[in-house]
Amino acid sequence: MSRRFPLAALAGVGALVLTACGGGEETPAAAGGPIKVEASDSACAVSVNTASAGNVTFEITNKGSKVTEFYLYAEGDRIMGEVENIAPGLNRRLIVEVAEAGKYQTACKPGMTGNGLRGDFTVTGGGAKQTDPNSQKAQAVKSYAEYVANNTKALDEETTKFVALVKANKAEEAKAAYARTRVYFERVEPVAEKFGDLDPKIDAREADLEPGQKFTGFHRLEKDLWVSGLQPDAPQIADQLLADVKELVTKSAALELNALDLANGAKELLDEIATGKITGEEEAFSHTDLSDFQGNLDGSKAAIASLRPLLQAKDPALVSTLDKEFGSVQALLDKQREGDGFKLYTALSQDQIKEFASAVDALSEPLSKVAEVAAQ
Amino acid sequence: MWFASALIGLREGLEAALVVSILVAFLVKTDRKHALRWVWLGVGVAVLLSVGIGAILTYSTAQLSFEQQELLGGTLSIVAVGFVTAMIFWMRKASRTIAAELRGKLDEALNVGPVAVLVLSFFAVGREGLETAVFFYSTVQTAQGGTTEPLIGFTAGILTAVVLAYLLYRGAVRFDLGRFFTITGVLLVFVAAGVLGYGLHDLQEAAFLPGLNTLAFDASNVLPETSWYGALLKGIFNYSQQTTVLQAVAWVAYVAIVLPLFLRPKKKAATAPVAAAVKE
Repeated sequence: MSRRFPLAALAGVGALVLTACGGGEETPAAAGGPIKVEASDSACAVSVNTASAGNVTFEITNKGSKVTEFYLYAEGDRIMGEVENIAPGLNRRLIVEVAEAGKYQTACKPGMTGNGLRGDFTVTGGGAKQTDPNSQKAQAVKSYAEYVANNTKALDEETTKFVALVKANKAEEAKAAYARTRVYFERVEPVAEKFGDLDPKIDAREADLEPGQKFTGFHRLEKDLWVSGLQPDAPQIADQLLADVKELVTKSAALELNALDLANGAKELLDEIATGKITGEEEAFSHTDLSDFQGNLDGSKAAIASLRPLLQAKDPALVSTLDKEFGSVQALLDKQREGDGFKLYTALSQDQIKEFASAVDALSEPLSKVAEVAAQ
Repeated sequence: MWFASALIGLREGLEAALVVSILVAFLVKTDRKHALRWVWLGVGVAVLLSVGIGAILTYSTAQLSFEQQELLGGTLSIVAVGFVTAMIFWMRKASRTIAAELRGKLDEALNVGPVAVLVLSFFAVGREGLETAVFFYSTVQTAQGGTTEPLIGFTAGILTAVVLAYLLYRGAVRFDLGRFFTITGVLLVFVAAGVLGYGLHDLQEAAFLPGLNTLAFDASNVLPETSWYGALLKGIFNYSQQTTVLQAVAWVAYVAIVLPLFLRPKKKAATAPVAAAVKE
């Protein structure tokens, strides 16, 4: 008896479903359809991490092997909405009414345990007061453009002097000017990289040359000055370098950047440090890598400084993390100062290099989040 | 893949079916079979209501906010605790009457009206009905758009729960009356304590009560809800792997108060707790 009834009830449910499934077409409340969340045992991929205030619809698919849950948290882990019992293979929908703009977090909890796999989620519009991010972005781009202009101008001046010394065959003085000149280039390197082959012409390393590519620019002169002595074609190389630098100055003045370029540039500079300077590959002959390192770091700092008001409004915690990590990389660099420059890369011990590497990694991590915040 | 869904079905099914099967056994044991129709009516209304509202939520743009859902689940659970508590003391009274071998007076002593039976079974099934129905629809939608495994698993889980509840009923009916009342009564005390904790947790999630993140213990690794034994424990006793302090205190307090009251030596005129329980 007790078994028969629930069976009948289930049959009734089945019949109801069949009648209810006529259309199957749904019009999601939000424009652009629901936000897709692909959950697995180790990941929680939310397709979009920003939405306008109002009804936010998430469509969660569990591709993992464990039952999962999906949450939207407001600050302080206040639950805005949740779906429990998302069995493997299942799609479930969550519609949350979010009235206020602000910072939220999405979370999947595979196995229904712990704090879940968190991701930041930003809601815009609504009733919250905030400075117009577009004007903040415009301000950031403007201030960074000034930084680029100042540095390319200085690069132009210093390169002019350096080239003159090379052409006058004053090797020792040219060597002294070399690192000082390069700092300005290293600071704005991401900008140089925007102009096709200008960057390789100015800054290609011998080890990285493509077959058939001519070895020109700073590093060719570096090799002459430190290793092989100034070659007969050094004056032409020097002239070409100056011409390329002037072209860079002209082009970068006309360059239209956006906030995302700044964020990506700040991260690229750190990658430069990690792949070139910490390995000692950049300045293979002069070993003035630490000076370039400082240039890259300055450039990265400047981009973040321009973005600061924007980041401060959106993610103050990220700003303080960045300040802290920039500080610790700079402190390590300061230990290696010598005169008005730095010790040679060859003077570093393996342990010191490791120290640099881990400090740079620790800074890279928050830097990689900047783009996401700046894009909002 | 289907197994995880089966465990969810088993758990939700047990949560609903356990109290009902004890109630049915109780009515059968006390020769009150005529009241069974009220049980099935209560269950039927709860199922239809859950299925109906679940369909509206799934296939239309209507929605309940998260707070509304949790408030609903939490409130229904806490109301259900009141009714289950009343049932525990009806049983106690019944066992006293039986023990005194006053079979003829049984009906008077157990003045359980049809409405009480109907309401009890309605809350026992309905408190989790909506969540279960919405889950069921999502397995149906998934089956239309991709894989039928969650639907098959869930249905298998529900059927298993129904079979287990039926077996429980068969087993319970085999006991002699006095022992039947004691065993099922004690079982119900722990079930109700779990339901109380569950309801409070829902209210905490809705931020209606504080202390959601103040955990008494976290047994996620030792006794995960995703394991078959964890699912059984959750289905029967509403065990939760992450128990908040409020939940734990309420559970302990409920058991500490109700269990001794239920088990205390039988004296005359033990009507006070019954009145108290019904008022909850």
